[in-house]
Amino acid sequence: MSNIAGKAYAMNVITPIPWYKAWLNWVIFKAALLVPNVLNGLLTLSLIHYARWVIIPKGKFPHLDASQPKEELKYSYMLFFSNFNGSWDQYVDSFTFAIPSGLDLFWKMNVRYPKSVPLTPFHNYIQHNQIDTSHYYNAYPMAASNDVKSAKNVKKALIDFNSASANKDPDEFLKDYHNLLNQLQHDFGEMRPTPIVSLAAQAVKERYSAEH
Amino acid sequence: MGFMDTLNIFLKPNSSGNATALTVLCPIINRVVDGRSSADIVRERCLRLPIHEKSPLAKVPNTYLARIFILDNVFYESLPGSDSIFNFSEITSIFSDKSRIGALPQKDQLKSKYLVFSSNFHGDLDAYLRGMWDKWSYDDNGQQRDVRYIWENCVAFGGVTDSSSFISYMKRCQLNSALFFNGSTDDSLQEQLKALYLKQEFSKFAAAHQGESAADLQQAFKVFIEQVQPSNLSGPSWEPGQSKP
Repeated sequence: MSNIAGKAYAMNVITPIPWYKAWLNWVIFKAALLVPNVLNGLLTLSLIHYARWVIIPKGKFPHLDASQPKEELKYSYMLFFSNFNGSWDQYVDSFTFAIPSGLDLFWKMNVRYPKSVPLTPFHNYIQHNQIDTSHYYNAYPMAASNDVKSAKNVKKALIDFNSASANKDPDEFLKDYHNLLNQLQHDFGEMRPTPIVSLAAQAVKERYSAEH
Repeated sequence: MGFMDTLNIFLKPNSSGNATALTVLCPIINRVVDGRSSADIVRERCLRLPIHEKSPLAKVPNTYLARIFILDNVFYESLPGSDSIFNFSEITSIFSDKSRIGALPQKDQLKSKYLVFSSNFHGDLDAYLRGMWDKWSYDDNGQQRDVRYIWENCVAFGGVTDSSSFISYMKRCQLNSALFFNGSTDDSLQEQLKALYLKQEFSKFAAAHQGESAADLQQAFKVFIEQVQPSNLSGPSWEPGQSKP
């Protein structure tokens, strides 16, 4: 079992929400998408590859066949899936310290949500409602979310530079090359299966190395 | 934000540009086989899936990040918490034990366990699911397995015999995102992997060729471009799930 694939951590959280508040929570999510500033905090943190919230209304767990008993639940449920970089503690702490009001906006309707500040009750709430992953796949385990974004900049700049400058006089080429390095200085960096940010990640690495 | 972008928030809840979120809850058959529950069989098979470049998901085109787990049950909210709106039981419970106990969260139990599959990928859902059916493959102690080996203990999966019925089945189990947040890009996986490869190689090149004369650097750069082929997505690149440099 592992919640970790390279530099990415898979978090799965399921929390109950009173059915009469679930629709309001849905409206809040849609409003957040309509007002992009609401998500700026998440973008600035830049820890996350992709994340989503899913609301399952009370009677809407998939029911495929008469042989399957129909769920009879008192609550609707909210699922949260995140793919982020760094350790569990860094991630959860970042919400508390960087975007507590945003987090409260998304979770405030949920049963017994303790608010994101102070830290300890919020840690306990996430741990209590988290489900471990049985299999986690990451197409680029050596890359963080920022690596994927910066790589896009490097590719474009390299292609543009090659087209514009590769065949200039050497001195002109060198001048343009230095400008290119200057432009890309925040996007450079070799990627490796390090650093290991948690003991769990180290254990996965050792197990994988032993098997291969 | 344009009109179509606004409309797509409601019409395409699982899309962010060309990135797509798939959330699927497949009920697991409630039975015991040779002393083991179907849910435990599915769980064990998922835990045994090889990881990184050997994962079956590395073969499913355009998979960015994906996960599988078993939802055994929901959790009872026994921890203290706050209420979004003032709770009158805070007052009534001063006078009545029944009121205090009545204010406790209610207990829910799921009647089935669920195989939960959550994927983030590039492109169209049908094409992606077809890719899962056609390409999912891995070695399980010398035996080649396909996608059915993970899903065959799910309710009504017996009727799935080809990619079309697999797509229909997964859509029956699909849940829409209330909010899909894309903190990365929505390029094709091939584009992402090529870009990561170029970042890696150009970073090494820049470090290795510091201080060279203009002529030598230019020559080395031309050789570098021939090697890495920046515009050729089918050329040298990272492989899906590649875990070592």
